[in-house]
Amino acid sequence: MRNFKKVVALLIVTMMVFVTLSACGSGNKETTAADTKETAAGGETTGEADTSVTDEKITLTTASMMGGTDPNTEHYQEVIQAFMKKYPNVTIEDSSQVSDQTWKAKIAAQFSVGDEPDVIQFFTDNNASEVLAADQFVTIEEIRKVYPDYAADVMDSAWQASANPDGVNRAVPTTGFWEGLFCNKDLFDEYGLELPTDWDSFIKAVETFKENGIVPVAVSLNEVPHYWIEHLMLSAAGGEVFTEVPTDADGNLVARSPEEWVKGLEILKELYDMGAFPKDSQTISNDAANELFKTKQAAMQLDGSWYANGIDDQENTVVIAFPVVENGNKGPNDIIGGLSSGFYITRKAWDDPLKRAAAVEFVKMNTSKEQIEIYWNGNGMATVELEAPADMTPLGVSGLELSNAATGTFAPTDARIAGEAYSSIITSAVDLVNGTKTAEEILNNALQINIDSQE
Amino acid sequence: MLYKKKAPLAAFLLPGFIMLFIFLYIPFVDNIRNSLYNMKGFVELQKFIGLSNYQEMLQDAKLHTALINSLKMMALTVVFQVGIALILAVLVNNIKKGQQLFRTVYFFPIVISATAIGLLFNLFYNYNGGALNQILEAAGKEPVNWLGASTALIMIVIPTIWSYVGFYFVIILTGLCDISEDIYEAAAIDGCNKSQAVFRITLPLLRGVICTCITLAVTGALKVFDLPWVIAPQGAPGGITHFMGTYMYQMAFVNLNVDYGAAIAVVIVALGVAVSLIINKILKPDENL
Repeated sequence: MRNFKKVVALLIVTMMVFVTLSACGSGNKETTAADTKETAAGGETTGEADTSVTDEKITLTTASMMGGTDPNTEHYQEVIQAFMKKYPNVTIEDSSQVSDQTWKAKIAAQFSVGDEPDVIQFFTDNNASEVLAADQFVTIEEIRKVYPDYAADVMDSAWQASANPDGVNRAVPTTGFWEGLFCNKDLFDEYGLELPTDWDSFIKAVETFKENGIVPVAVSLNEVPHYWIEHLMLSAAGGEVFTEVPTDADGNLVARSPEEWVKGLEILKELYDMGAFPKDSQTISNDAANELFKTKQAAMQLDGSWYANGIDDQENTVVIAFPVVENGNKGPNDIIGGLSSGFYITRKAWDDPLKRAAAVEFVKMNTSKEQIEIYWNGNGMATVELEAPADMTPLGVSGLELSNAATGTFAPTDARIAGEAYSSIITSAVDLVNGTKTAEEILNNALQINIDSQE
Repeated sequence: MLYKKKAPLAAFLLPGFIMLFIFLYIPFVDNIRNSLYNMKGFVELQKFIGLSNYQEMLQDAKLHTALINSLKMMALTVVFQVGIALILAVLVNNIKKGQQLFRTVYFFPIVISATAIGLLFNLFYNYNGGALNQILEAAGKEPVNWLGASTALIMIVIPTIWSYVGFYFVIILTGLCDISEDIYEAAAIDGCNKSQAVFRITLPLLRGVICTCITLAVTGALKVFDLPWVIAPQGAPGGITHFMGTYMYQMAFVNLNVDYGAAIAVVIVALGVAVSLIINKILKPDENL
């Protein structure tokens, strides 16, 4: 019996040691493979770098925002499958997820410890400020020195719009977005209301719906107050003042928010007190708010182009530009939108001779004209020249009309100020409607955090 | 001494200790250091700010709310979680048939993921068409905003307490089985009835077990995160249902104010240690009565 126990104990210890050490030791294989490849390449014609995908067995780690409930998840997965079929020796490990604050934080953490993916579809504006600071991306210019036809279909205007805050292009943009006020037209028709193209008809709609037991506006103030904050500020301030982060005469950032920003944000509380939002808007999740709109229990929802494909009723839903608030400076057809994401290749993959070509091929597959057309699907803004598809739904047409008729397209605030500063505004939306903080306090505090983060 | 050779002892304890050291103690010390700096992102230290985060905590109204809520949760878990578990364990111990059935039934909620329970209760509490409001409307009453300012905290505490009663139930039941039958028989001969047996024999002998349960319950209440966050993220509405754990998460991962989150984490640990010491002093579990 004692001998048996000894044997079992020894087995368990051996297993534990084995498991602990199994993670190490894979490094040796890569150097030997690279050695053989170099000696093989040495025999070929000199002078030309080998730009074809390797024959070695490699793993490419990728990440994107096309995961979960994003309408492009399926299309993205199809590209991955097609890629792995074309190159059977390459395994793609993808971790895509719909973007939210937690995911952004996770990616930032991965980059700061050196655990970043090889290819990532990520933000190009200030949303990526922490990640860009790690300086782990290859620029388009560098890639084009080796692959001159990299992302050749993308329009010049798209390159300009998707440059990082320092003016350098690192990501290949595929689609852009617009934001607008989605309306359940059938509910408006039922109560004889006009679509809210100006503020008076908006208020009238809110009052009428409230009287008849319909939630006027579906929103989760706790989780996603973003669009209301952006649009109210744009509507009050107009595009120019909205997009200018305040500075003093010498060009230094100041923590004094423009009057128009404050006026715009204060309207959020007015709307809340009026009962425009669901009774539990402070606690419901964004998904629950979406359900209210999709099941016709709510009449309006302020959201973006990514939301359009998920709406079941494509016939009776329209999207219009957000109306101009009282004394507001926005043009009636000015919208919030832009090109703020694209495919990056990280230095980790670029500097690895086995992975470089595979990473480039993967991005090429995702950014060809055909693939961009699939991702665009009539939704949002395309970065290559495309026509409206013949089988577009009425809602799709409505969205295209919105972006085509836009007299001005302005990037949202999170493109201009640091992540921490923007978060402070978002998480204070509930305090604003409860009266525990004023709009001025919230905005000035955010600007101060933005200033502190630049040091 | 039980072991004559110390070498095998050290050999077996070492791997566990190394893992604890690398994944617990070093990050813990790191965290204390992070709370003294202004941080950019999750790794980069920007500027040394000393105790400024801790000073900020003294003014932070939401933190005070979170602290008070955590203390309330601690009191409620001791009274209800351990209390109900104790009552159930004593009752179940006294029945002859169906003991196994009751053990399974009461233990079951622990097996369910806290996130799943949170999502389930979220559906119950939903204002538009949630289960509770559907019942009220069917009975002809007005729907209630269950997660409104006045009732949100209780609505979160209820599932949190319910889900872990089984855990303490099983621990106490095991403790009850340790009490020898002879004592009860002897007491019965001396004319002790059932309720006297519970108060004079069972409870005093369970003292050590109950103290362990109370310590676990209290420190668990301090750390609680998954259920409150799933039912009311970011302390909805308006931060009044924050607990220390959820507030720390919000600061670090939503507001991206990582150093402040680190400072809150230090406070949570300090609080946990303090509370455990106080409980030990009050209950004196190792003393012979």
